Amino acid sequence: MALVDLIDAERAPLLVAHLYENGDPGPIASALAQVPELCEVALPFLGASLGPGATGVRLKELVILRTSARLECRYCVAAHTAVALDVGLGLDEVHALRDDDDLDAAFADPRERALLAWIDAVATGRGPVPAGVTAAMRERFDDHEIVELTNCIGVTMLLNRFCTALDLPVGASVAERLTSEGFDIR
Amino acid sequence: MSVREAIEAGTLPDRVWIYSNYHCNLECAYCLTESSPRSRRRSLDAVSMIAVAHEAAELGFREIGVTGGEPFLRRDLAATIAAMAAILPVTVLTNATQFSGDRIAMTDPLVGLPVRLQISLDAPDPEPNDELRGPDNFAKVVDAVPRLVERGLRVRIATTVEPGRLSETDHRRLCELHRTWGIDDDDHLVRPVLREGRADATGMGARFERDQLPPELAVAEHGAFWSAFGPTIRGDVADTHLLITRTILPLATPASALLRLVEGRPQGADANIGIR
Repeated sequence: MALVDLIDAERAPLLVAHLYENGDPGPIASALAQVPELCEVALPFLGASLGPGATGVRLKELVILRTSARLECRYCVAAHTAVALDVGLGLDEVHALRDDDDLDAAFADPRERALLAWIDAVATGRGPVPAGVTAAMRERFDDHEIVELTNCIGVTMLLNRFCTALDLPVGASVAERLTSEGFDIR
Repeated sequence: MSVREAIEAGTLPDRVWIYSNYHCNLECAYCLTESSPRSRRRSLDAVSMIAVAHEAAELGFREIGVTGGEPFLRRDLAATIAAMAAILPVTVLTNATQFSGDRIAMTDPLVGLPVRLQISLDAPDPEPNDELRGPDNFAKVVDAVPRLVERGLRVRIATTVEPGRLSETDHRRLCELHRTWGIDDDDHLVRPVLREGRADATGMGARFERDQLPPELAVAEHGAFWSAFGPTIRGDVADTHLLITRTILPLATPASALLRLVEGRPQGADANIGIR
């Protein structure tokens, strides 16, 4: 049970009623609907931040799942384990991003390894990112890609803390699917 | 189109409603806010109420309505209304039960100001009125109204009834009553019970759609709403289906959002169901 009342379709505020036209918009939108003027600007921003963008869906899902695992967000890890599998990440990669398996063994591409080091440093570090991590990132990514991916890390962190603090529930269908595929719902 | 232009064009109504508080000494059968002596107060502080009036005037609104709950349960109400009336004309909805004997002096700050008291009276006889509104309500209203009028306050009578249930005889007798107090027919409203709040629990009133309600901006402690009938309570939980924004100040935030919603309505959707 979530910490706050998740607004259902019958009680949807006017500015965000359209979100419910195709059914349950999910717990993040249903919680944000408590503050419609925030919800109506936050959701497009979240969509632009977490969507494929110029860097592509694979790198974005690396960012989202890895960041969520490092911040131990139960809701986001479950939701994006399913998304990551749907967009083509391998089982070994998903397990590694979740810290179930060794990351280095699952990711050999130097560009992706640079990104994963960047994610860990940005999401869990304090103060400046270590020079070696920054140099590797700059060597393999353009400026606009660094901005997009770093924004994605930050927005994921926001959602991780939002979902964890409000104890948003993992959907039953997601939980059932992940359990059947051998994942823990932590 | 700006909010001011929308008001001048008649696209937006020119009145802003303020819910001053939700608690009430009465427990009316059809109350859409489930108000009672036990209700959470949800009071909007005086500074915010006056700020709403200031910003409403700046945006182009022309009138303030104050409702509750029973507003006059607040000790600071008269002074707050007086401050607001220096900015815009104010209509205050009240059950008039707080004005017995010398207590009517609480209205002194309102004499001579552009303030109108809208007082509920649902039937021309005590029994049917008090059945809906509580014991001795009829007697308290017929005691208070002529004394308020005598003091120079403008009074309006509001009769809330099940749709189609006010007989011609009762309507005529109510009119005869208010005319004896010097209140003319233009200041007598007859309006339907709406199925919200306690009326929903008791199966009273007319069901309605959003677009049947005039898009008046209404602000309460917990947000800004479409229509004075938006900030309802059900099972002690605030309804959100007519919520516009949680932000009430600056008032331009909900006013602009309301305008966007109104502009998005289909043509001809602004029929109302006799609510003022």
